[in-house]
Amino acid sequence: MSLQDAAIAANRFGLGARPGELARIAGDPRGWLRAQLTPESVLPAPLAALPSTADDEAAFARWLATLHLGGADGAASMSGTTAPNSIAAPDGGKLSVEQSYVRTLLPRYAAALQARIDVATTTDRPFFERLVHFWSNHFTVSAAKPQVIALPPSFERDVVRAHATGRFEDMLTASTQHPGMLIYLDNYLSVGPNSFIASHPGYLPEYLRGRMTGLNENLAREILELHTLGVRSGYTQADVTAFAKIITGWSVQGARRPSADGKLFRFQPSFHEPGTHVLLGVSYPQDGVEQGQAALRALAGHPATANHVATKLVRHFVADDPPPAAVAKVSKVFRDSDGDLAKVSAVLIDLPEAWFPAAAKLKPPEDFVVSVMRAMGGPRLTGRQLTAVFDRMGQKPYWAPGPDGWADIAANWIGPDPVWKRIEWADVASKAMATSGTDPVVLAKETLGPNVGPATLEAIKRAESPAQGLALMLASPEFQRR
Amino acid sequence: MIDRRQIMGGLGLAGVLAAAPRFAFAAEPTDKRLVVVLLRGAMDGLSAAPPYGDPDFERARNGLAIAGPGQANGALALDSFFGLHPSLSGLHDRYARRELIVFHAIASPYRDRSHFDGQNLLENGSAAPYGLPDGWLNRALVGLPQARREGRTDLGVALASSMPLMMRGAARVTSWSPSLLPAPETDLVARVRALYAEADPKLAMALTEAIEANAATGAGGKGGAGGQEFVVLMQAAAKFLAGPNGPCVAMIESTGWDTHANQAGAYSPLTRNLATLDRGIQAMADGLGDRWSSTAVVVVTEFGRMVAMNGTSGTDHGTASAAFLVGGAVAGGRVMADWPGLKPANLYAARDLKPTADLRSLTKAALRDHLGIDEARLETAVFPGSASAKPFEGLFRA
Repeated sequence: MSLQDAAIAANRFGLGARPGELARIAGDPRGWLRAQLTPESVLPAPLAALPSTADDEAAFARWLATLHLGGADGAASMSGTTAPNSIAAPDGGKLSVEQSYVRTLLPRYAAALQARIDVATTTDRPFFERLVHFWSNHFTVSAAKPQVIALPPSFERDVVRAHATGRFEDMLTASTQHPGMLIYLDNYLSVGPNSFIASHPGYLPEYLRGRMTGLNENLAREILELHTLGVRSGYTQADVTAFAKIITGWSVQGARRPSADGKLFRFQPSFHEPGTHVLLGVSYPQDGVEQGQAALRALAGHPATANHVATKLVRHFVADDPPPAAVAKVSKVFRDSDGDLAKVSAVLIDLPEAWFPAAAKLKPPEDFVVSVMRAMGGPRLTGRQLTAVFDRMGQKPYWAPGPDGWADIAANWIGPDPVWKRIEWADVASKAMATSGTDPVVLAKETLGPNVGPATLEAIKRAESPAQGLALMLASPEFQRR
Repeated sequence: MIDRRQIMGGLGLAGVLAAAPRFAFAAEPTDKRLVVVLLRGAMDGLSAAPPYGDPDFERARNGLAIAGPGQANGALALDSFFGLHPSLSGLHDRYARRELIVFHAIASPYRDRSHFDGQNLLENGSAAPYGLPDGWLNRALVGLPQARREGRTDLGVALASSMPLMMRGAARVTSWSPSLLPAPETDLVARVRALYAEADPKLAMALTEAIEANAATGAGGKGGAGGQEFVVLMQAAAKFLAGPNGPCVAMIESTGWDTHANQAGAYSPLTRNLATLDRGIQAMADGLGDRWSSTAVVVVTEFGRMVAMNGTSGTDHGTASAAFLVGGAVAGGRVMADWPGLKPANLYAARDLKPTADLRSLTKAALRDHLGIDEARLETAVFPGSASAKPFEGLFRA
């Protein structure tokens, strides 16, 4: 029976304790975490209610069609020189292209954001959810790119949730075949310089002619640098180019012409660069999609990948500067288990460094907001309100600034402005929830356990109102860190 | 060296009174402002500042070359060789007013093609990604001469919702971004501040600086505007810098420059980004008013993009790019480039614009000549190991 460990399990591995949770799990905090490392039997209801991936993929293309940009299948972009400056709005006025985009597509993002926060706030499997968020960030698909604004939630559901306790190689392959990733990092447009289509552009729809004439190495580079080996692990520009050739033809099924089997990934043999390619000294003689699959398999099993993933996991759950001994343990389990993510996640629970009482991590803005909602049971915000809150705090979920995702160290979040925005949010949330009659001192003990210090308790007791007491609890260092 | 305080002491009260008005004049020669704009994602320098006079330009860019001056969507001529992208009309006007220097074929010491390593190196100021844990701009401020510190609490401000690496470090800097929420009550803020002071020095310092930053902009709640984020941030930066005791340095980021596909055309992200950059610099000049004459804005990016168009009407990661130095304090109206040419044999790694100048030569010149930072300190503490990158000479008006 350890309330101390229960508080660490709920806060450091989870998304913050709900009232009563610490007492429930105190008997076996580690067992409570381990039990969460199983596949999800049923998709949480808020996620099940979201549109299908095919519909998310088609959303941008449908919006484009309303602009008469002439692009089918989502492959056209906002680059046409004939784009109108404005289009007619339903109320008879005129909308700029940007206004139209925001009005048409942002509600879809907002609904998905609300679902993500609802699940995080109510889940009984917060460690599993943290792992989902971690892998979603590792394989970032960002709504910041207009063409994929609707796709990060589908990607998270199809790729990350499905494989969070499965095998890394499967998650990597699913990621590389998902329309979200293929469009975000441009691979659907990449064609081999010696492919059939490069010499027969007449087979392309007219609006794509001249726009798909050769390689785009964006996805290949980021798979090596971000998803698998890690930067400065020894690969060269020649490896990037070779890998880009290997995955030419990895494209998307046109959203308006769904395939019979419903798959959205489509290997286009006519885009593929023929021949054997050499990646990291290994020849890949395979023809077609098997070539890329073999390369991904090798990358998933490469020791640099094990080390890269282990470093990121330990940084995420233990400390900004990952202790090398802890990284070595996780990396070994990754290698020995062939990337079994249930086993890799379980070894995190066994790290002694993960249970040191001193809080080594600062909650990023999203986890801070979620933990507030878990502690107080609210406030429940609409997707639009959540969008605004996270935008101002500098971490809009599904909207990372680049393919490397959100930074995972306190230095990124502890500047004056972000700290101020946290206090603003603590104040607003406390005022919204103060009428519930919650005693802030009790709530502090319920959510932080023995980790709440005397200075914070004293400050809460001296507050001039329950709302101010709650705000002080939420703003306290013990609540900000974990 | 004579200590100014000794002389003043000798003159007694009369000396103090005689000296006092010095602090009221905006035109104090040491009262300079430096703005650093970081374009994240790697700006295509060959589009931003097209070398339309290079006989190899059109061929080398195979379809992405900006047309020459006078043609439809053609470059705005700077001289008979270089131009500016047609979206940069405001900068073009400043060039004519001798407020803009365009640097070309310039790069940081980074020679690989990872955005994140490239930005990290550009921000940390060493010659390696993650080579130092803090930023060169902050370390420069640590060496700011005493006369330029007087009266200032914050030496710099980052217009960002998290503190960029370039501004992290020991010197006192703040950060600010617009808010949509009402400001928390002063009493709550005071109590949180007291709690942090007792229990968490890092949070305490961040909050103290936030309180002062909000006082400086008159904001601290409900200041936000949707869209045009960069322009809004430039306006806010100008507000910080305009005050007589405002910070000497502002840092602003702009994202979305990673144009792997469809980068040409009137509605492409690159075209829109360049137009926004142009408007942002105009907003800075407008917001600063008279103080623009003592201001310099440095615009840099982590690396450039490939010379040849890739297979998807965009460009993949490259090496050298362009940079801008603009402001009333700049001795402008020229392009500074040791042009390497675009023939295949002249490219870096047979694919990229070859770097012939070091970005640190630009930033070091700005720190030394505009902010008065000691040159020896630039070599040792600000950009360690940068002796080969000599500061450019004569970038600023005397």
